[in-house]
Amino acid sequence: MPVSQSLEEHLKLDGISISFGPVNVIPSLDLSVRKGEMVAFLGPSGCGKTTTLRMIAGLISPSSGRITVGGRDITRLPIHDRDMGMVFQSYALFPHMDVTRNVQFGLQMRNVSKQDIERRSKEALELVQLGHLAQRKPKELSGGQQQRVALARALVIQPSILLLDEPLSNLDAKLRDEMRLQIRALQQQSGITAVFVTHDQVEALSMCDRVVVMRNGRIEQFGTPTEIYERPATAFVANFVGRTNRLKGKVGSDGQLVAAGQPLRATTKLSPGPVDVLIRPHRIALQPSSGPATTGDGNVVEGKVSSIIFIGDLVQYVVRAGDEEIVVEEATRRERAPLGVGDNVHLRWSADDTLVYPDDGK
Amino acid sequence: MTTEALAPPRKMRSGEVAVLLLLPIALINAIGFILPVLNLARFSFNKVSIGGGIENVFTWENWLGLLADRFYLELIFNSVWISLAITLTTLILSYPIALYLHRSSGPWRTFLTVLVISPLLTSAVVRTYGWIAILIDDGPVVSAIRALGLPAPSLMFNIKGVFIGLTEILMPYMILALMAGFGRLDPRVEEAARTLGATPARTFRKVILPLTLPGIALGCLLCFVLAVSSFITPKLMGGGRVFLLATEIYDQAIVTLNWPLASTLSILVLIVFGAALWAYSAVLRRLD
Repeated sequence: MPVSQSLEEHLKLDGISISFGPVNVIPSLDLSVRKGEMVAFLGPSGCGKTTTLRMIAGLISPSSGRITVGGRDITRLPIHDRDMGMVFQSYALFPHMDVTRNVQFGLQMRNVSKQDIERRSKEALELVQLGHLAQRKPKELSGGQQQRVALARALVIQPSILLLDEPLSNLDAKLRDEMRLQIRALQQQSGITAVFVTHDQVEALSMCDRVVVMRNGRIEQFGTPTEIYERPATAFVANFVGRTNRLKGKVGSDGQLVAAGQPLRATTKLSPGPVDVLIRPHRIALQPSSGPATTGDGNVVEGKVSSIIFIGDLVQYVVRAGDEEIVVEEATRRERAPLGVGDNVHLRWSADDTLVYPDDGK
Repeated sequence: MTTEALAPPRKMRSGEVAVLLLLPIALINAIGFILPVLNLARFSFNKVSIGGGIENVFTWENWLGLLADRFYLELIFNSVWISLAITLTTLILSYPIALYLHRSSGPWRTFLTVLVISPLLTSAVVRTYGWIAILIDDGPVVSAIRALGLPAPSLMFNIKGVFIGLTEILMPYMILALMAGFGRLDPRVEEAARTLGATPARTFRKVILPLTLPGIALGCLLCFVLAVSSFITPKLMGGGRVFLLATEIYDQAIVTLNWPLASTLSILVLIVFGAALWAYSAVLRRLD
């Protein structure tokens, strides 16, 4: 956890709800963001993450509930008094102003003195390494440069919260990686509290201190990236964040978990009934079944390789075990004798990596 | 079969294709517009003989006479001034409607757009008569004002009537031109301005207005040209007491049968249009 971050509560959503017509998009949402931390709103499209962000910015009003920043109620405050820096997916730069005037806009609206406007806008442009393009119009810039101008424009006003609405979605993959690092570095340097809306789990996990996983207007889980990945609270989170194998299973009245036709061990507390068993593909080890079949305290399942997909840094084995197909991922290594299609194998994984959830019928 | 027949047809270059495609419209324009205008220009240097015939001579008489005559100078000045005032009024009344239409969506937007365009389905003559019925001395508007105990203005057969009628008739054109020019206005950009601390009024002045200027320029050009050249509405609603360029050209050509003078006035209107077009492109250059 970065040092700049404190435990002081900064942004608080208290029972926020909103309906669009008859559709109750967000039934009731509670959330508390600490000062200086970067929180991701992660979820599929339509989960309410952007709606929540827009309510924080004041662009839409919640039907009920309270939003406070540093203890101050801003729920009914007009947009221009909220002191939020927002970065839009489409950049939303002012097309009729050059880069400098775009960055200066927020300072002018705050009646900052002329010298301070000059100095601060210059500093902000240096910060995003665009000092040399100060006189350009937005349409003369590349997507990445436009996004950096948008970032400088939002940061220069030293807002109380930085709101980022899918800021990287319109960039190509390589640029996205660069911008990810840059945004995170700028956020940490300035110690600003930030909310980052994304549907990309890699962005959420790699950039943010904590992640809110949302579905259908509700929070599924709120935790650190490690918590979200290693201890997903629901099957939805496990499926949405990272790749998983999903097996249909059952817990007997004796508490024994059975899936893929075999008894399995898990560390989760189990109640009887149908369950979903989730295992991450790279947490499964694959061995030829001719090797020693020691069980240990983990799980061993027998299967047969039905196909192999070579990706380069990874190789994916699809293994048939009972009625299930289980995908196993391994980092490719030269020294290892490759497995072939049709080989009989042992799949091994630990009880900790066996995630079990009650069957939600989906 | 010869080898020649097997050879593929010669490929045309894109330049040749463009010329071929443009040729018909160029011909129609030349015959239907450019030649008549040149003919009109030539006519303006002709002379009317005492008997009423046209003498095919070359004289500056019409042009010099026009510029020396107070009546015509006032006519030109009034036409331009009234057209500018009508254009401005049309702009002020149409802008909020166009902005609202630009922001609305779905079937509601379609319905409103049809509503805006529907006056164009009726001829300007019919709409002008409609306005006469509404604004005439015993009509509903004047009666209502009188019923309130206020001094009733005369709204018909004077410049006020022409002003009201033309403004309404030109509004659909203005709204359509504005909407066409509102393309650059992205709601996200307005939102960005608001989050950066701009009040709604400052957002309008600093962001919305500058971004809609191309549409404003286009709409004003269109409405100004239509206002200067409008004939039916000033003729009918002016009651013969409002003198504008278009009505004067009609009178000279049809009533007085002074074709050379009518031609001179027509060319003058073209010059006014040229000036308007120049002003328009100057505004656009400034915006870029």
